[in-house]
Amino acid sequence: MDNSLKIATMKKSFGISLLYTVPMFLITFMFMTGGRPNFSDPSSALAVMSAFILVNILYFLMHYTGKTDKYRAVLFIIFALSLSFTLIRNMVAMRNSMSFSEADILECKIPFCHLVIPMMILPAAFTKSIIFPGSIIGGFANISSMVVLWLVATIVLGRGFCSWGCFYGGWDDGFSRMKKKPAIKKISGLWKWMPFAVLIMVALTAALTLMPTYCAWLCPFKAVTEFEQVTSVESAAKAGVFLTLFGGLVVVLPVMTRKRTQCSFLCPLGAVNTLSNKITPFTLKIDKNACSECYKCVEVCPLYAITREDIKSGNVSLFCSKCGKCVDACNKNAIHYGIKGIPPGTMKNFSRNLFLFVSFLFMAVFSAGSIISTLQNLLKLIF
Amino acid sequence: MTDSFILGLSSGSACLATCGMVMFPYLMAGSAGVKNIAIDLSLFLFTRLFVYIILATVSWYFGQALLTNPVIRNIVPGVLYIVFAVMLVWYSISKNRNPDCPAKIVKTLNKRKLVPVLLGLVNSLGFCPALFIILTKGATQNTLVHSYLAFIAFFVGSSVWFLPLPLAGKIQKKEVLKNIGILATGLAGIIFMIKGLTNLIGGIING
Repeated sequence: MDNSLKIATMKKSFGISLLYTVPMFLITFMFMTGGRPNFSDPSSALAVMSAFILVNILYFLMHYTGKTDKYRAVLFIIFALSLSFTLIRNMVAMRNSMSFSEADILECKIPFCHLVIPMMILPAAFTKSIIFPGSIIGGFANISSMVVLWLVATIVLGRGFCSWGCFYGGWDDGFSRMKKKPAIKKISGLWKWMPFAVLIMVALTAALTLMPTYCAWLCPFKAVTEFEQVTSVESAAKAGVFLTLFGGLVVVLPVMTRKRTQCSFLCPLGAVNTLSNKITPFTLKIDKNACSECYKCVEVCPLYAITREDIKSGNVSLFCSKCGKCVDACNKNAIHYGIKGIPPGTMKNFSRNLFLFVSFLFMAVFSAGSIISTLQNLLKLIF
Repeated sequence: MTDSFILGLSSGSACLATCGMVMFPYLMAGSAGVKNIAIDLSLFLFTRLFVYIILATVSWYFGQALLTNPVIRNIVPGVLYIVFAVMLVWYSISKNRNPDCPAKIVKTLNKRKLVPVLLGLVNSLGFCPALFIILTKGATQNTLVHSYLAFIAFFVGSSVWFLPLPLAGKIQKKEVLKNIGILATGLAGIIFMIKGLTNLIGGIING
């Protein structure tokens, strides 16, 4: 079988692709409109319609072209940008500023995000309390809904959450695509253990201080969400740390390496999600009979999840976030989405279709609210 | 207390990374079993705590005698924090990290029961950047009790790494744990560098 034929196996005809898009079309329609489209507010209707069309076109193209990562990244990056836009807009509307004060902490007005979860576990077990100053139910970005969403997504997708559900990942994913060739090609594999070191540090210090230490000191995404008011040398140091980490790990290094360096070298939730790859049914498989050991997959993997040794052994490591970049790069179709228990090289199309439906649906539904809200606000600004 | 705990975490991981190979065989020698290893480990940890209490007392008295000016009390520790933190980061990124452990000298001992005690003594007095930092911290505390608390937090943080030792035989992928430990050391170094800078700038502004 020649290469072009092998690539074509993931592609589908226009009609078949459309047929595969129908379930996504119906479910996203229900989620975005509640089953009752409201045309009374034109800007709102236009925003919902645009988000709905965008999501379904991307899903259709995944089937029609056989490419995954290219279209996933579009929605993933839009999700990250729109979430930050929505959050900042809400913060400014509530407090006239992106920064929060001591009073906001005391009144539990801080929106929750999934990165806090690893720090909550030990204090919750010992003190039966949540250490984050946010709302448990109700309000914007409440704790219970975020924990449930993350838990469900992680059980189903494993570290796939990092490429299909995380609303921060799109930032370094976006920056990692800005240059065609990397300026830095080799980074020691030792660094990919850093998220585990961060996880141990923040989980234990959070248990000791009953404070979300990662949020207080390390989280680089405070630069695009909210941060503590600078009122002392310590709060200025905190601001310096998160701005440096954002600049270094989310902007500069991804551009220089074409890798998602924040996700690979810092994120403690990434470490937890890596472990969860053990329980998820979905995985990436290497068909050793088809593999020519060209190592293109090793080169393009944004999370340092595949090494030459992995290719030789025929196993993808637990660090894989199932973004599909390696699958798209492989012109032999040797690396493919798979389901645990099914041998490599078999049921490639079925596994991909099933994984894409679950993961894309999660991202589409999860991102819809912030994309629609952003579009509404942009439309209001324009007209 | 939090930063002392973080420092302890970093120090413990570094000790385990370099001394693990010397300590495992002694703590697990013979037909020890989990219970006997746990007893040896308790002796080892108790000795370390004892040494740290003495160091807390000594460092605090030195601090009271030498760091009398309030501005100096901020600036000197700030500079020391930065210097020792750079050493800690250097340790974690250096490829020529010295794999030798001071605990090697206990190999010459004949009495097995003394081994955990001497290991604890040698381990806690192994002058590494993390110990220098906690000595600096002890010296700058306002009261002796605060100095004790800082050293106890340091002890607790460093002991976390030793707790799985009774089960060490069952731990696979020791290389991965070693890598994580070394990276945690570098991370703690960065945290203390920031703390040093904060102290220094705070000291200059207040001065």
